[in-house]
Amino acid sequence: VAQNRPAVGLLYNPATPDVIEHAPELVQYLAVMPDRLWFDFGAQAVAGRRFHRTLGAMEEVRRRARGRMLAGHGLGLSLPSAMPLDETFVEAVATMSADLGGFLWYSEHLSLFITPKGSVPNAQAGLGLPVVYDEEAFEIISTKLARRRQRLGCRLLLENGSFFTPVPDMDMSEPTFLNNLYAGGHCGTLLDLHNLYVSWRNGGTRPEAYLEELDPDAVEEIHLAGGDDFAGFYMDSHSGLTPPEVWRFAFDYAPRFRRLRAITFEFQETYYDRLRPDGVVAELIRMHELAARCNVTREVTDAG
Amino acid sequence: MLVEFQQAVADLTASPEFCISVRRDPAILRQRYELTEREWRRLVGIVQHPGMACACTVYRANRLAPLAMNLPLTCRALGKELRAVVSEYWATFPEGNVHFFIETDRFCRFLEAKLAEGVRFPAKVAPVLAQEAALIADALRESETEAMPYEVGDYRDLADVLAGPGLDDGAVKVPFPG
Repeated sequence: VAQNRPAVGLLYNPATPDVIEHAPELVQYLAVMPDRLWFDFGAQAVAGRRFHRTLGAMEEVRRRARGRMLAGHGLGLSLPSAMPLDETFVEAVATMSADLGGFLWYSEHLSLFITPKGSVPNAQAGLGLPVVYDEEAFEIISTKLARRRQRLGCRLLLENGSFFTPVPDMDMSEPTFLNNLYAGGHCGTLLDLHNLYVSWRNGGTRPEAYLEELDPDAVEEIHLAGGDDFAGFYMDSHSGLTPPEVWRFAFDYAPRFRRLRAITFEFQETYYDRLRPDGVVAELIRMHELAARCNVTREVTDAG
Repeated sequence: MLVEFQQAVADLTASPEFCISVRRDPAILRQRYELTEREWRRLVGIVQHPGMACACTVYRANRLAPLAMNLPLTCRALGKELRAVVSEYWATFPEGNVHFFIETDRFCRFLEAKLAEGVRFPAKVAPVLAQEAALIADALRESETEAMPYEVGDYRDLADVLAGPGLDDGAVKVPFPG
């Protein structure tokens, strides 16, 4: 990977090895989700036996990650929840990182997935619940990030979510909240441009306004993806190729992100037949064109 | 309190009926949760937002995902009964399990209990449930080892299941864990 360009890669899924077979040189980076490499038997499981890893899948990840950058991408921790951090989960992620050779960085979602009386069922259709952006949430999230960073020992990123129901009357906008986390040294931003598009299509903020407000130096990774329409709404289903509008945001704004480390395409393997290897490879080629327009001039400190 | 506010958002998303009740009478929220005035106003704004219907739909689709993926024949056999059965199941077990085989195994037991009670389902349900429940029990046992194979493309016909007797008016795209 050229040092002044972000790496281009994929969010790992069971179809990823096939994409790599088709275009090994185009995939420089893999993001893996620990949640998909284990079975979580929950807090009621016998002590120490909560997470059962899928060793075959982990070995495949290890093999495919050789010679590539590797980072972790988490779904299940729900940092904004007004509850204590799930320390067992944190430990399991740290163990998995070590097992896979060490994540260069680790990203989580700035969305609510867990409440005291249960969890929000979250498949890839994307139903993180909205977060209230105020000082209380900032304190909760920044405290948990500090603990995570201490245990994982790598840079942390938070990803903007996509929401169907924005919270009215907030103290801060989402970009301001992310800017403050970055300014405070708590984490960087994983900017999911498709999530911005989803929220906008469903009545949320105009992506350009959001992107103008976001501190460009906070952005260290970009997610691209495609979705589809359902019942009058646009879904973050990761079922398609990146929409033209999202590409436009990417080409307009990514060159401003001086600390951008990776550009990542997300798709659901259940749609791989429809996307076809050629479709994903074409996305990767365009992502490399985007990476070539970027000029990474500011170093990221891995220790966070 | 933030924790109460978050629980209320989750409860509303899980229940279109609760949303309808709150839209009719927002004071219900104050009876059920300890909320500041501002939190209450925010919740009323959320529940009245047009996107709330979509959030509820996606919630149900995501809870249906493990059942439709792992029990496609049973879901098909239930046909029009599927909507009522899963609604009752979710009311009985409001908290889903992130481990898809545990969640599916629990649903199998729920259906088996219904059959044992004499609840009448379409004739095909009992034999396909027995067949799929056995597979799930095996998969659950296997997942307790650390050598579960990582299969590709096991669950590709979920969209058909959802589009058929499913919970919504149209096909929901395949949700997947992670």
